Amino acid sequence: MPSGLTGGEQAPSVDAVYHPTHDESARQGFVAALRAFTGRDMRDKLADHYHTRVLPGVERAGSTAPETGRDIEKLMAPVPYYRFYSAMRYNAQEMMYQSVLDPVERVAGEMIAIGRNIAGRRPTGGTLTLDPHLELPRYVTALDVHLAPGSFHREYVADDLSQGAMLAYGSKVGLGGGVHREADLGAVGNSIGFWLTKKYPQFAPRRMLDVGTQSGKNLFGYLDHYPDAEAHGVDVSAPMLRYGHARAEHLGKVVHFSQQNAESLSYPDGFFDLIVSSFFFHEVPVAVSRKILQECRRLLAPGGITVHMELPSHSDCSPWENFDWDWDAKYNNEPYYMKFRSQDFSDLLEQAGFARQTCFSTVIPNLETTSEADYARYLSGDLPPLKHGRGGWFVFGARREA
Amino acid sequence: MTEASVKFSRRAKGKRPQFFDSPETDQMMTFIIELTTEVSVLSERLNTVERLLDTRGTISREDIERYRPDEEAEAERVQSRKALIERVFRMHGDQ
Repeated sequence: MPSGLTGGEQAPSVDAVYHPTHDESARQGFVAALRAFTGRDMRDKLADHYHTRVLPGVERAGSTAPETGRDIEKLMAPVPYYRFYSAMRYNAQEMMYQSVLDPVERVAGEMIAIGRNIAGRRPTGGTLTLDPHLELPRYVTALDVHLAPGSFHREYVADDLSQGAMLAYGSKVGLGGGVHREADLGAVGNSIGFWLTKKYPQFAPRRMLDVGTQSGKNLFGYLDHYPDAEAHGVDVSAPMLRYGHARAEHLGKVVHFSQQNAESLSYPDGFFDLIVSSFFFHEVPVAVSRKILQECRRLLAPGGITVHMELPSHSDCSPWENFDWDWDAKYNNEPYYMKFRSQDFSDLLEQAGFARQTCFSTVIPNLETTSEADYARYLSGDLPPLKHGRGGWFVFGARREA
Repeated sequence: MTEASVKFSRRAKGKRPQFFDSPETDQMMTFIIELTTEVSVLSERLNTVERLLDTRGTISREDIERYRPDEEAEAERVQSRKALIERVFRMHGDQ
């Protein structure tokens, strides 16, 4: 039995009632294969095509080599292989969520009833604080991010958590989680948590906050490395928080979920020692990022650390890499993504009040794909620089002066 | 208490991009990809039937629903899906 449960009774699992049919599972498996084929095989071939055909053509014609992702986009737009790649990748992305809508819909009522029961009992001791009057920002509701119908926030009935479940299962399809692979959705939290324990061995956060926590999956990863820390997660989306709360209580993870806009949080100054986020900032306008980083500064106790997993900035990548990453901005309904990547993250942190010398940005190993031996080589500086998305995660952050 | 019923939106909010010169071609790509998916689903169902019949003389639809591929069967399916994609989406030229 997970630790922290009271009353000797484990909370039921909302996930246990999800049963795709034989054919729905087969469809999800095929969509996973399509995602891998377009996002890996075709993507690699496209890079090869560019470097061996398109770029040499530009050089032969005596034109200047492209300097930005946008320059490359102009060159690639008429290339048939690029069009097929884009069309297939877009459809695969769309089908990832389409493939889970029916099976989640079928059991949504049952899941909601389980969630309601858990929220009333809180067997593990975590909390769920919702604000029915919170206004969803326009940047959240304008587009359905990642082509997921309903995006992060849609609610259909009272106490709804089905959108949280739908997004979690859809992402699992995308990660290739078949019947035998429990794709770990909290890989980022786990990787950063482990890295922090190595980089700051004396650091022992009493309270930590995950901004844009969705269903809190990354906090679960952090809790593995800081089991004594009080874990808080904020998000504007009630269905994500309800789903996260139900899962956390079932898994025996004590997490305090609160529905708030991170631009202005309710916690007192210096309340947290660790403030994190994952793939979050590129989904909000840069002006909003600035406000949130100011909140991070205000909420950190002296000596506290803030660290955010993100996409690397434009200046850290080659023109091809920028073209490749920015595909999502245009075709995956992520309109703030390019503007965010054009920022200098240390500048953003400094403008939010952090001392320049405490700011950092680096690519850390993905704990899931890095062997123990390679991690040791990484720590001693003997591993070649890692790439975000290929065995590594890009992170940026700062430490508040003691 | 009666259970709430949810009816998900089926379409993501936002403008759908056009990758080809004509929107009909983009629509055709969706048809082809969806159809290929259904071929894969059907062939996996047949594979399930064959695997079940390898072990017993008669099976029911319930048996098919209950079937979960073991490691070996899942690995075979992963290979078959990839091979199907490579055959159906065979590019002209050397890409």
